[in-house]
Amino acid sequence: MKRKYVVAAFTATVVTAAGLTGCSAGDATSGDGTDGPVTISILESKQTNIDAISKEIPGFEAAMKEQGKDIKVDLIADVLTDEQVKTKLTQQLIAGQAPDVLDIGENMAIAWSSAGYLEPLDSYLDQWEGWEHYYPAVKEAMTRQDGQVYNLPSGAGVLNLFYRKDVLEQLGVDTTQPKTWDDLISRLEKVKAATGGTPIVIPAGTAWGGGTWGEGFQPLLGGTDTGYYDSETATWDLDTPGWLAVFELYAELVQKGLMPVQDLQNPNPWEPTKYVKFPAGDIQVSAQGTWGWKFDWGPDGATPIDGLTEKVSTWQWPGLRDGDQPYGWSSTGGGYAISADSDKKAAAFEFIKYLSSGKPLAEQLVASGAASARDDLDDVAPYSGEPQLLQAGEDLSNSVFVVTGDGADQISQAVATATELILSGQADGKQAYEAFKKDATDLLGPSLVKQ
Amino acid sequence: MTSIIDVPAAVQTAEQPPAPRRRRARTWPLVLLLLGPSAVLIVLFIVLPAVYGIWLSLTNTQLTGFAARNPKFVGFDNYAYLLGSTDFLGSLGQTGTFLFWSAIVGQTVLGMVAAILLSRPWIRGKGFFGAALLMPMVVPEVVASLTWASVLATSPEGTLNRLTAVFGSEPTAWLQTAPMLAIILVNIWRGLAFAMIMFQAALEDVPAELIEAARVDGASAVQVFRHVTLPLIRGPVFLYLLLTTISTVGVFGLVYFLTRGGPGGQTRIAAIYIYERALQFSQIGIGSAASIILLVIVVVLGFTYVRLAKVEV
Amino acid sequence: MTAIDSRVAASAHVERRRRLGPVDVLQRCIGYALIVVLALFCLVPFAWVVFSAVDADAGATVQWPALSFENFVRFFTASGTPLLLVNSLIIAISSTALNLVLGIAGGYALSRFAFRGRRFFMFSILLIRVIPAPATIVALYLIMVNLGLANTLHGLIIVQAVSGLPVTLWLMKGTVDAVPMELEEAAWTDGNTRLQGARRIVLPLMGPGLGAAAMLMFMGSWGDFLTPLVLLQNQELYPLAIGLFRAFSERNIVDWGLLAASAVVYVLPPAVLYMLVRKNLLKSSLGGALKG
Repeated sequence: MKRKYVVAAFTATVVTAAGLTGCSAGDATSGDGTDGPVTISILESKQTNIDAISKEIPGFEAAMKEQGKDIKVDLIADVLTDEQVKTKLTQQLIAGQAPDVLDIGENMAIAWSSAGYLEPLDSYLDQWEGWEHYYPAVKEAMTRQDGQVYNLPSGAGVLNLFYRKDVLEQLGVDTTQPKTWDDLISRLEKVKAATGGTPIVIPAGTAWGGGTWGEGFQPLLGGTDTGYYDSETATWDLDTPGWLAVFELYAELVQKGLMPVQDLQNPNPWEPTKYVKFPAGDIQVSAQGTWGWKFDWGPDGATPIDGLTEKVSTWQWPGLRDGDQPYGWSSTGGGYAISADSDKKAAAFEFIKYLSSGKPLAEQLVASGAASARDDLDDVAPYSGEPQLLQAGEDLSNSVFVVTGDGADQISQAVATATELILSGQADGKQAYEAFKKDATDLLGPSLVKQ
Repeated sequence: MTSIIDVPAAVQTAEQPPAPRRRRARTWPLVLLLLGPSAVLIVLFIVLPAVYGIWLSLTNTQLTGFAARNPKFVGFDNYAYLLGSTDFLGSLGQTGTFLFWSAIVGQTVLGMVAAILLSRPWIRGKGFFGAALLMPMVVPEVVASLTWASVLATSPEGTLNRLTAVFGSEPTAWLQTAPMLAIILVNIWRGLAFAMIMFQAALEDVPAELIEAARVDGASAVQVFRHVTLPLIRGPVFLYLLLTTISTVGVFGLVYFLTRGGPGGQTRIAAIYIYERALQFSQIGIGSAASIILLVIVVVLGFTYVRLAKVEV
Repeated sequence: MTAIDSRVAASAHVERRRRLGPVDVLQRCIGYALIVVLALFCLVPFAWVVFSAVDADAGATVQWPALSFENFVRFFTASGTPLLLVNSLIIAISSTALNLVLGIAGGYALSRFAFRGRRFFMFSILLIRVIPAPATIVALYLIMVNLGLANTLHGLIIVQAVSGLPVTLWLMKGTVDAVPMELEEAAWTDGNTRLQGARRIVLPLMGPGLGAAAMLMFMGSWGDFLTPLVLLQNQELYPLAIGLFRAFSERNIVDWGLLAASAVVYVLPPAVLYMLVRKNLLKSSLGGALKG
């Protein structure tokens, strides 16, 4: 009788195991790329992008049909936070289960291309006439450590300072381009004297996450000192003077009470600042990017501002140290990439090509508020009808950028922590810089720090 | 999985004496049948990943970045790094503070108080009170964090600020000025029902006759508790301490959604440190090593509890 | 419950004989005050969730609501939400069922058979769960991919059921421990086989323990979001736990009202389950129930 049980147990286990392995995972139609019916998958995690892409898919599938190719697109609309997307996609890329086309930001692009999860696009790009129309500055920004290009920017942006022209004019404050930070700070102090509030917000601290480095610190740093990343040795130079200058700028802004420190230390700091106080005119100057015209304050944006184009205008970043000139900071680091394990790369590239040309591109740019990285889009509707975006495109041609590589995540974390010390009043500029250096050296490890 | 584990009093009742030896030889197949599937699945989905985690802790594996291409075996380097890192040691210290005040002191004391009160015959509405105290344990971590975010909110409308306004003080940024205190409070809130349940069951096992006898001898309620009740529930108390240590050390979401380990890393308890390293920086090797260190500490604590519980019965 | 009742009744009876002196009254007042304070402490934070869920203009703090069920309507009509709810229910119920089946069988074995390594097994399965998820999730994902279980609902169910197994096994073992061996032996002398005896005698007496285990497992599965996030790619399979984060991601602004409404809906099934199981959970040890 006992033996019966043993047999039963073994059979049960074997059957279960067989059943488990037999069940298939998510499906992946096989096919080499463009022969026979093929379905490629693309992942989008922001609602605006989801909407924009789903609009383009029918056009693409039709265009492919005309060329005799049967390519369908499966849009994986996964509305998640950036962190969750990163966690999830990293797992999938490791296991070879990622979607064919990925729409990702700069940090992820750097991290994943270094790890070998993304397919180099050079061979595809060289065969595409569209690539010749991309601004040289953009092409350079897209080239990674190993000299290859891994993603095609879906749009480019310029980061600078957006300000409430109407409020400043009302207060009698000069609205011409401030040449230096000293100039801007004295204007801000005038505003503060009149309103009693905190006139400017620049991302800082840990609550703002990656934005502290990407939309606040790095633009400030790059405008005064482009030597902080050495592409030759692929290391970060933590001793170059720009770092200290920027930390001291943050300290000065905080000590003079010009930044909303309370808000910056709370979760989702962009909400009370960019989405409440700036539209209300209580914060008059905000670090912002081109997308602000649409994504944040446009009529379909998060918090629309009535009469946006009359009330708001932009300044370039003022010069920080002696001899610095005002500048715009370009952000072109992200875009469309192809997963290295995809077995439909050719088809995937067809889709990327389609999204990056003519009307489809124009529509996406207008939807998310980005400038064109191509020089031949200015006449294409609906992009042609957007003066702010066209202006940004012009600014793009003479804006600053610095190509960085491996370790950007760690630098971002260290900067966030160090600026947090300034916000909480625990450190002045120099102390924050020292803490940053120690932290960054620790996080990067010796191979990524310039000796 | 949430990290809350509950073992009711049934566990600590005396174990049935083991089945007589003569049955042993004939019962192995039965054991395999009944326990086999569970054991296999546990090995596959829990043990294997854990073993892999141990392996990873001995390498310098990274999930992204250039270092992801060639992970190397580095032996105990990760451990040496961690044990010398002020960040990690600080994180362990914070975990210790968090564990001690919220679980070992807060939950135990308040849980005991609640258990005693709810066992008094003269309390009405036991069901209602019991349910009220149980609610914090039932809701998922995200919801718990959100509710406390609104309580601790900096603006004058934050619930706690409204309360202190009654006493005339200014609205305070609780999460900035007293972050550790805040998360300790939240964890006590979260776990006291667990303690209450365990102690309620334990208290009911204390024979009423002993208490009566002590009372008749003239002992006050406090003396009765200290000298009669407490020694008898020693076992369950330590079992509870072990379980709450394990679950508190693993608390992640509750704190992360509230403070993200901030401000400035003041509430970066071990679980958050590991999350940051393993997932944010993709330093899986370091993250795994930190997990193992944590495991070792918990095991040591576990042995301590077991020792303390056995001393004198 | 009878034994407890009689004990309680006995002491109450004894107490009633002594008249309530001022000290007793004071004690009772303090007692009530304490329990009320504790209850308030536990309930007040939920005020935000409740108020904001029915508030058309919800903010991040508690405010008097502009009463409306708009948030709930939006929650249920948002694309895919009912599906999230259904998925969560399927996942949680299935994993609980699987977990209980395995747990009962395993718990019985652990209780009745003192085999070598039993102690080690019991403690190690508990301790191994101390290793936080981020460290093990990479390996788990790879294993799942190799088994062909990634991105499937049943794969997730199995993983969750197994994650809760250590606790369930402890619970079930303890519950079976408290069922006296004599009852089973009596069943054997009546001609039942071992398993028949177990089924007829032990199983019905495991009620409270089963209730506790079911509750814990269900709640664990219901609240789990990291595992589904990593193991599932197809968002049609997502449980509600992940859907709760959607209110965070819309255009960088949190829709507080929607979030609160989601939270309320999210909390309902576990709360319902709790009410069904409540009597069992707060019951005293099973041994006490049988001593009478």
